[in-house]
Amino acid sequence: MSEPVQHVESKGLSRRALLAAGGASAIGLGAISAIAAARRRERVFIARSQRYDGDLARTICDGLLACGLAAPQFRGKRVLLKPNLVEPTRKIPHMTTHPAVIIAAADVFRGFGASVTVGEAPGHVRDTQMALHESGVGEALRDSDLAFADLNYQEVGWRENAGRFSKLPGLFLPQSVLEADLVVSMPKLKTHHWVGVTASMKNLYGVLPGIKYGWPKNVLHHNGIPETVADIACTVPRTLAIVDGIDCMEGDGPILGSRKSLGLILVGANLAAVDATVARIMGLEPTRVSYLKLAAKRLGPLNERLIEQRGERWQDVADPFQILDLEHLQQLRADRSGWLFS
Amino acid sequence: MAKLSAHVKQLAAADRWTYRASRQSATEPAAWAALALTAHGHVEAALRPARWLADLQQDSGAVGITANDLAPCWPTSLSLWCWAALDRAQGSSEFQQNIRAAAEWSLADRGKSAPQSSHIGHNTELVGWSWAADTHSWLEPTCMFVLGLRAAGHDAHPRVREGVQLIVDRLLPDGGANYGNTIVLGQPLVPHVQPTGLAMLALGGEPSSDSRISRSLDYLRTSIDPELASPSLAFAGLGLAAMGRRNAQSDQIIHDALDAPHAAEPLSTFEQALLLLALAPNAAMDGASAEPLGETL
Repeated sequence: MSEPVQHVESKGLSRRALLAAGGASAIGLGAISAIAAARRRERVFIARSQRYDGDLARTICDGLLACGLAAPQFRGKRVLLKPNLVEPTRKIPHMTTHPAVIIAAADVFRGFGASVTVGEAPGHVRDTQMALHESGVGEALRDSDLAFADLNYQEVGWRENAGRFSKLPGLFLPQSVLEADLVVSMPKLKTHHWVGVTASMKNLYGVLPGIKYGWPKNVLHHNGIPETVADIACTVPRTLAIVDGIDCMEGDGPILGSRKSLGLILVGANLAAVDATVARIMGLEPTRVSYLKLAAKRLGPLNERLIEQRGERWQDVADPFQILDLEHLQQLRADRSGWLFS
Repeated sequence: MAKLSAHVKQLAAADRWTYRASRQSATEPAAWAALALTAHGHVEAALRPARWLADLQQDSGAVGITANDLAPCWPTSLSLWCWAALDRAQGSSEFQQNIRAAAEWSLADRGKSAPQSSHIGHNTELVGWSWAADTHSWLEPTCMFVLGLRAAGHDAHPRVREGVQLIVDRLLPDGGANYGNTIVLGQPLVPHVQPTGLAMLALGGEPSSDSRISRSLDYLRTSIDPELASPSLAFAGLGLAAMGRRNAQSDQIIHDALDAPHAAEPLSTFEQALLLLALAPNAAMDGASAEPLGETL
């Protein structure tokens, strides 16, 4: 079996993987080439009119079912929910994944019989307790009796870089990531002033430990942001995306942008397909986003004909985001006429 | 005071020096534990983590992050600091060779500089220290290396002087600091307490009259709050103490955090050590006036 085949089958929580005996390992299910993975049809669920005080658990459950994922596939599994808590401050709540979305996801997976942990390695702050406090996530986890894994300081293990888009031979991953049967990337939907958009793939930067990579994770930057985003998505085994697109960030994201309310929740088993859909909703052309371009070679489809839209159609909820007036960002726009930009 | 003494005794008895998230000892918590115990006069107890760090020192002089993780080597800075503090406290030269090797490694280690960019507000050409090899200089590792090298008597070394310059350069226009960016794409970034406290600790005793320093101290003073997480609180206390702004109210809040009756989890040795250091009689442990320890470099 070639390396790309192992990679394709060992990452992402495909329906096929979950339906495999016990769902414990997807490796060895068959010889699907990398090209086939990029051409495989993937489902992405979009729900609109969502609110943080609404029944988000119901929405997430509906989304999982719409993507072909059901309760028996999660029973007895260790699920790690990975929100975005990059640099929390109460002054900018739309920077980080809202606690209500995290708790709703936890309720769903616990209801399915999984054991759930929430974990994050905040990228810009060393004091993780502060990050939990400022984001409101710490209090929400205590109220819901949920465990938190501080991925910045846990013991680590080394895994070969399954992506090889960058020169990094391998990646250090925290114990909770290595032990999880499923890592659920739970990003906040935001613009990103270097790479255009940050969603479920870029959010996985936050599974890498600061104690090894620094604050910020400058080792990754020096090895190429698009390349390392794709590498991490390839290397972290068994992933799923639940996107907080209710209150989003536009303009100078991912830290200082303005709030933009979309009221969306997105769910999908293929991170590339989810992020391509996110980009379209934001008015960006996914094939122009550097790390998605890399993902298209290996991780999943960007082509909308290969992405089965469940729930709402992306065209019906699309609402172009303001992006900074910088050439490297403006060139990502799907339609360069007539939009506001900051 | 009785409670403080109990915490010091508890730290002295610790058989591991860990972060909240880890079970195995890590070098950074060990170094802070040695510093805190030394500052509280428990030199014998401080020798245990300090000697453990010495055992982990590599031939190059560097110290990795755990016994199993030999890189990155940013904890070399804090190891250097605690060895120098202990030798000074003991009037001994037990760690002389460790100090010499660590200082030599530290002075040779350089963060990457970069040409100035209109997108980035800080001076990217200044050289300080990075978190990991072959990456840019960042605020917090530069602070730690300045503290370590200063404690070892190298305050006047050009690398330390440039490090101090870098720390001031990375302060935000309105005061405070974050991980080390100041203005990106024209927007000033957000300050955080922990890096601000560490920056003020590293700048303690420096003659700079830059107005960003006084604004940073104001930020720290107004940020100290019972709700503040322990590491941030401790660094705020350390930064204020280093700048002569320590006060009874902030000390009380730090005391309360140490007792932490409301905490869901007990304090880690990392947090306990930091809080105890912040409450030590000479919290800043300023080594600026020290003669070089170890052999001349």
